[in-house]
Amino acid sequence: MRLRTPLALLGAAVLVLVGPPLLTTGSGTETGTQIPGLRFMVPNTPGGGYDITARTAAKNAEDAGLTHGIEVFNLPGAGGTVGLSRLVSEHGNGRLAMSMGLGVVGAVRSNDAPKTLADTTPIARLTEEQDVVVVAKDSPYRTVDDLVGAWKENPGKLPVGGGSSPGGPDHLAPMLMARAAGIPPKEVNYIPFDGGGELLASILGSKVAFGVSGVGEYLDQIKSGELRLLAVTGPKRVAGLDAPTLQEAGYDVSFTNWRGIVAPPGLTDAERTKLIGLVEELHDSGEWRESMKRNGWDDAFLTGEKFGAFLDAEDKRVVSVLKELGL
Amino acid sequence: MTTPTTDDSTPAPTGERRTWLRDHSELGVCVLLLALGVLVLTDALTMDVDITQRGPVGPKTVPVVVGAGLLVIAALLAVDVLRGGRGQAETGEDVDLSEPADWRTVLLLTGVFLGSAVLIEPLGFPVAGALLFWGAAFALGSRRTDRDPLIAAVVSFVTYAVFNNLLGVPLPGGPLMGVL
Amino acid sequence: MNALNSLLDGFGTALTPLNLLWAAVGVLLGTAIGVLPGIGPAMAVALLLPVTYGLEPTGAFIMFAGIYYGAMFGGSTTSILLNTPGESAAVVAAMEGNPMAKSGRGAQALAAAAIGHFAGGMVGTVLLVVLAPTVADLAVDIGAPDYFAIMVLAFIAVTSVLGSSRIRGLASLLIGLTIGLVGLDQMTGQQRLTFGSLQLADGVDVVIVAVGLFAIGEALWVAAHLRRRPPDPIPVGRPWLGRADVRRTWKSWARGPFIGFPFGAIPAGGAEIPTFLSYVTEKRLSKHKDEWGKGAIEGVAGPESAASASAAGTLVSMLTLGLPTTAVAAVMLAAFQQYGIQPGPLLFEREPDLVWGLIASLFVGMVLLLALNLPLAPVWAKLLRIPRPYLYAGIMFFAAVGAYAVGGEVIDLVILLIIGLIGFGMRRYGLPVLPAIIGVILGPAAEQQLRRALQISDGSVTGLVDTPFSVIVYAVVVLLLAWPLVRKALPRKGART
Repeated sequence: MRLRTPLALLGAAVLVLVGPPLLTTGSGTETGTQIPGLRFMVPNTPGGGYDITARTAAKNAEDAGLTHGIEVFNLPGAGGTVGLSRLVSEHGNGRLAMSMGLGVVGAVRSNDAPKTLADTTPIARLTEEQDVVVVAKDSPYRTVDDLVGAWKENPGKLPVGGGSSPGGPDHLAPMLMARAAGIPPKEVNYIPFDGGGELLASILGSKVAFGVSGVGEYLDQIKSGELRLLAVTGPKRVAGLDAPTLQEAGYDVSFTNWRGIVAPPGLTDAERTKLIGLVEELHDSGEWRESMKRNGWDDAFLTGEKFGAFLDAEDKRVVSVLKELGL
Repeated sequence: MTTPTTDDSTPAPTGERRTWLRDHSELGVCVLLLALGVLVLTDALTMDVDITQRGPVGPKTVPVVVGAGLLVIAALLAVDVLRGGRGQAETGEDVDLSEPADWRTVLLLTGVFLGSAVLIEPLGFPVAGALLFWGAAFALGSRRTDRDPLIAAVVSFVTYAVFNNLLGVPLPGGPLMGVL
Repeated sequence: MNALNSLLDGFGTALTPLNLLWAAVGVLLGTAIGVLPGIGPAMAVALLLPVTYGLEPTGAFIMFAGIYYGAMFGGSTTSILLNTPGESAAVVAAMEGNPMAKSGRGAQALAAAAIGHFAGGMVGTVLLVVLAPTVADLAVDIGAPDYFAIMVLAFIAVTSVLGSSRIRGLASLLIGLTIGLVGLDQMTGQQRLTFGSLQLADGVDVVIVAVGLFAIGEALWVAAHLRRRPPDPIPVGRPWLGRADVRRTWKSWARGPFIGFPFGAIPAGGAEIPTFLSYVTEKRLSKHKDEWGKGAIEGVAGPESAASASAAGTLVSMLTLGLPTTAVAAVMLAAFQQYGIQPGPLLFEREPDLVWGLIASLFVGMVLLLALNLPLAPVWAKLLRIPRPYLYAGIMFFAAVGAYAVGGEVIDLVILLIIGLIGFGMRRYGLPVLPAIIGVILGPAAEQQLRRALQISDGSVTGLVDTPFSVIVYAVVVLLLAWPLVRKALPRKGART
């Protein structure tokens, strides 16, 4: 009995201390594109947009033999700014990356987060998706001009639904549209919904005058005629959809939602180049092409400093819109 | 309306005052509700609501209603307690209300929980989890030092393995992760 | 009947040995993972997504359906046995289920839950087959004013769970409402009660509140008053539902789906509100009112049946409209898209084999789940016979894992402990825990719908009553409020002509 207590303690200590390292598979070598122990953070919940991008990218990279054992993990909160804070605090960690997008840019500003994307090392922009302006099939508005005409007359009476909270992509798009049409963004009656799905019911039931969300969310409803597509927000038309861009319709708006990857600050040039190299190889792989096609993502590849400059420009645009709203 | 016993008029001996306080400890709940109400109201009223609000109900409205409700209910509860109303402490299979509360155990349990929470990051989940389990079992009266640590370690390690390796929900592994 | 033929074809798909195997694997995995703390159906489906990458779509979705239903059931199991709900739909199951388990009727509670799930799922899926197009249209017609009216009704219903002291019940409700306020305002993004912390910006998860108030609060309370003499062993009782139990519960099982199914189909926040409404309905209708709070079996049977039927309702909106009404549906929608399939109005025409195979597999999965869980109920219930220190240590451990695993944030553990201490205080001073949970669930939902309705009407209060549905609901509310007065005014034993 006297001996059993120390023995039990020893056994317990060995198990909890030595057990976990033994469970992890042996670390790989750091040759070529391989980055052993690479972790990929997703700043929103499993199943969300950044999550699917991250998990797909990780799986494709492994399938293509670029690197092994990428660990994808979620750190959701406050539109991605909780994850961003963690990323920035991992100064100099060359084995961490974060999946992000325009939504994080907006969340940083609307939440007044202490860390911004300027504090990160930009790696690459991967994909983009246009927003669509849609109405119910029995809506009186047949063209963008119909809609904007009525909207101008009485902005308050035409509630706009979007799938993101204030500061998010579906909020920015109608605000930019209002500004281009000469409506002060402050007067826009924007109603946030919890994602494009929840918004869909309100558009179909004509609870909101029109809705703005990602084109991928509503492709089928548009094709079946349940929703009428008035315009797309990006610079060019979407193949297979019969609708003008906002620019063609006479409103100077060019807006696309995009997703990309950033890394912690303080990386050495070698570490940064290595991460960018890995993403470049991924982008060139057949697996990734296949995934983009399957998910309906548009290619928007942009790396390193160019991506950094782009982040900066997006941030300025977000700030200018939010400022007009008084946020 | 029945007036409560007038303790304040006559300087009561300290013993009696202590009994009165113990009998009326529920007033502490009123104080907490009151404080909570003030907190909610302060937070709501200092919120700078700008033009983003549309319609008569803004981000302040509901907090103001809830905060005011807390103040009212704190007052009502205080009246009820002074009139002799008492909340019925919850009973249960494992609960023995005939003896006074054992604050040592509660404090120990709270401390163990907090300690484990702090240790997760530096020592890893398996260690912190095992300490939580063993510590909690110890606080609750288990003294099998030859068995408890092992049970705790196995429970914690298996949980770690299931989450980390089978489900892909990463948990911190501990200081030896990079070494071995 | 066209749907019937298609369904028969669907059974042809679902009953092939391979698909049967996927259904079984899904149900098993789902139950096993649903039992784990902190992992509800949405997490389970998301985490198991990679497992299905190698499968063809039909097999994959049959497996998903199994995981979904399995995880829901697994969540109720921990809710009943350990008082630690793994997801919001299982919160209500803990309220009567856990007291039952404590008094040695754990097997009966689990069996009532299992059969409730089966009944709810079956009825729900039949409704799905028959009503899918109609329900989908109705779901779209219901808007913010209607939701808000339902919330008002739900708040009226809360009064029946306030407990013996109204004041203390209301205090508890207000505490819940306060916790519900924490986080970014959903409409304008203003921070409320976050004290500048980003971690609090998304608010406090209702599961953390429930686990804190129920499990941690209970463990601390027991610790303060642990019986020092050897405890009476929990009476074993018979492992099966007795005839008296069945007589009490069959109506609850039957009623659940009609509350759960419609709520699943509309985007009103998932299974929390229907399970709660089912709970208060059962309480109102019960002939054994004295048992409520101490383990009334109807309080497990009804809500579980409603939860399961609401899952079927969720699938209606998702399959026919591409409209995800819950987190699980959103994850499944993403999974569909991974296979290049877009759920929505065209799905039934484009992929009839897949859809009807999936629907048929729901029936198959439900049978498998019942066959798996009914015999297991007494085995699970034995879990409670482990010594008290280990039992409560285990509860604290699992509560902590659940709070930590999902976000990996130590602050979540601190929040959990604080809520646990509140739960302890509430037990000490006789504040019922239940209204607080209801407050956390209903408060934010009601506020959001109210403000959305007012925004849609551009600030006009008439916007709250401009739909027939909302007017009907308010009429019911008025009747409920006026009924006690009316009854008093009527002569006793009114002369019926």
